[in-house]
Amino acid sequence: MEIVVCIKPVPDAETRLRANPAGTALDGEGVKWALAGYDESAVEQALLLKEANPGSRVRAVSFGPAPRTEEVLRAALALGADGATFLEHPAEVVPDPLLAARAVAAHLGRATWDLVLVGKQAGDDEAGLFGGALAELVDAPSFGGVMALTYDASARRFTFRRSVEGGAEAAEVPGRAVLALQQAWNDPRTAKLPNILKSRRATIDKVAWATTAGALGPLGTPTTQSVGFRLPAPRSGAKMIDYRTPEEAAEKLVRLLQEEAKVFP
Amino acid sequence: MTARVLVIGEIRDGHLLASSLEAVGAARACAGPSDRLEGLLVGPAAAAASPAFAAAGLASVACVADAALERPTPWAWSRAIVAAATAAGAELVILAGTAAGRDVAGRVAARWEAAAVTGVTAIGRAPGGRLRLSRPVFGGRATQEVEVAAPRAVLAVRPHAFPAPAPTASAAPATELPGGTGPEGDGRILGFEHVEGGAGPDLGDAAVVVSGGRGVRAADNFSLIEELARSLGAAVGASRAVTDAGWRPVSYQVGQTGKSVTPQLYVAVGISGAIQHLVGMVSSRVIVAINSDAQAPIFRVADYGIVGDLFAIVPALTREVRRVRGIA
Ligand SMILES: Cc1cc2nc3c(=O)[nH]c(=O)nc-3n(C[C@H](O)[C@H](O)[C@H](O)COP(=O)(O)OP(=O)(O)OC[C@H]3O[C@@H](n4cnc5c(N)ncnc54)[C@H](O)[C@@H]3O)c2cc1C
Ligand SMILES: Nc1ncnc2c1ncn2[C@@H]1O[C@H](COP(=O)(O)O)[C@@H](O)[C@H]1O
Repeated sequence: MEIVVCIKPVPDAETRLRANPAGTALDGEGVKWALAGYDESAVEQALLLKEANPGSRVRAVSFGPAPRTEEVLRAALALGADGATFLEHPAEVVPDPLLAARAVAAHLGRATWDLVLVGKQAGDDEAGLFGGALAELVDAPSFGGVMALTYDASARRFTFRRSVEGGAEAAEVPGRAVLALQQAWNDPRTAKLPNILKSRRATIDKVAWATTAGALGPLGTPTTQSVGFRLPAPRSGAKMIDYRTPEEAAEKLVRLLQEEAKVFP
Repeated sequence: MTARVLVIGEIRDGHLLASSLEAVGAARACAGPSDRLEGLLVGPAAAAASPAFAAAGLASVACVADAALERPTPWAWSRAIVAAATAAGAELVILAGTAAGRDVAGRVAARWEAAAVTGVTAIGRAPGGRLRLSRPVFGGRATQEVEVAAPRAVLAVRPHAFPAPAPTASAAPATELPGGTGPEGDGRILGFEHVEGGAGPDLGDAAVVVSGGRGVRAADNFSLIEELARSLGAAVGASRAVTDAGWRPVSYQVGQTGKSVTPQLYVAVGISGAIQHLVGMVSSRVIVAINSDAQAPIFRVADYGIVGDLFAIVPALTREVRRVRGIA
């Protein structure tokens, strides 16, 4: 089975966010970029499927600016991916997930693959658009919120559960599908030192932006533009309720929710 | 010129979702007085649900009564949406950002060659007339403003961000669109199971969420959290400490690797407030924290705090809520 896993560098969860001087987008200065959250689960899921289905190969693909995009691809190689493809884009911030999906689709159109795994949403823009857009462009079925994924090699069929409001659905798709993974339910592994060292020397296939742009034509232009980036005003700190008995605490809280916050149902 | 906006309604178990009515509210927020709002419903219950949908302020509702679209796959639904948008000559498609809505938004945008913006919490126009949208990013740690730079756009609106319009007496016609959603056999949804204790509202969709953390100490004690939630009509959430310990399933988890929630009221009980938890709930409108440690970081994002033992406070709070709400 040929598995493609699409990953994207996002600021590490502990990063202090700041707007750029123009106030239009995140300031990338000093940000520690990482393979995060959902994408880490996607890589883990790809490796688990590979281990359960001997002869399978995992290729990591990422579209974005150097050097951070190349670095997350090396992180995927260190975890156990067999190959990596770096689709270059010149912008400091990848302008929109739809453009990323078009770039990856242009590339995947020429390759053979059985499964593309992506994160349900990227930890930065949280759009959740990439997987569906990619699937539409390569004319494959797609599902989001996927958990507990298994492959039945004899029927060439993936079965899984997917998280939806209020519960979970059981679903199945035949091979050549795009699945967006729910979350770290699969406990991602950490890379071993020798593999990290080996990944530093591994070759990464590089596709120049000019090549991708040529293939996309007018669809290579971003369709959205980030014009503002605001951090919330810090909450002024909790109003602490003083009380002598639990009953008094409960009464005071309910009254505040009713009369002051006006959110009591 | 009159713009046309197509609002997509989502039906589950025969009922139109409240968040679909909010999508009509969002459509109104970006439409001018002469713009025409149309609706689309799919599945066997489409015609029955159309009056309630139209009453939110739609000029007409197109129905695709195809039984195969009862729980539509993302690809079948996207075909139906793009066909209806094309038939209506729409420039804008608006849908609720539910799990299914987000799954389909990217497909529709790609197929229809449109821009797409999800998680929309506010809609306006930039000076040049472009659509300008606000959306939380980084798990609610920041807000991004985005402008649409394409002639067409798909917007998925965040649940609870827009009020559902008050219903009007509507004589909007329901029109039938043909089904025929493409080849079968390329995957399907086999069934649905509610999560345990899932009798309350959906976590991602609830107006009130009560979450418990490690402070609850054991699986059995988690029923304290569930009783408080029930008294408030709230959904139940949990920190990862709880789901890791197996006290409740992973579907309860709120945070970076769980669900992001944006209720009107979030009550965090025995949760310390680690950054990975905060990113999933910090954009809730009002946050209440109950914790025995006055230094717990959760108090820094809370609006109201009670320092105390949850085993004493929570039962008292449940009783008080029941009393005030008149629940026996
Ligand atoms: C990559 C990664 C992803 C993660 N994703 C998530 C995520 O999605 N969601 C998430 O929640 N966490 C996540 N975590 C874990 C996170 O870092 C914290 O470990 C977790 O949120 C802690 O859960 P907690 O607050 O319930 O437990 P603790 O931090 O142990 O806090 C328990 C709290 O209960 C209080 N308490 C104890 N007894 C009582 C009592 N009797 N009455 C009142 N209060 C009491 C204590 O004072 C304490 O503040 C993630 C971590 C990593 C590394
Ligand atoms: N530039 C990109 N390159 C590769 N994969 C991406 C890119 N952007 C998004 N993805 C994948 O799509 C998922 C959802 O991203 P998004 O639609 O931006 O929320 C991510 O978790 C990645 O798996």
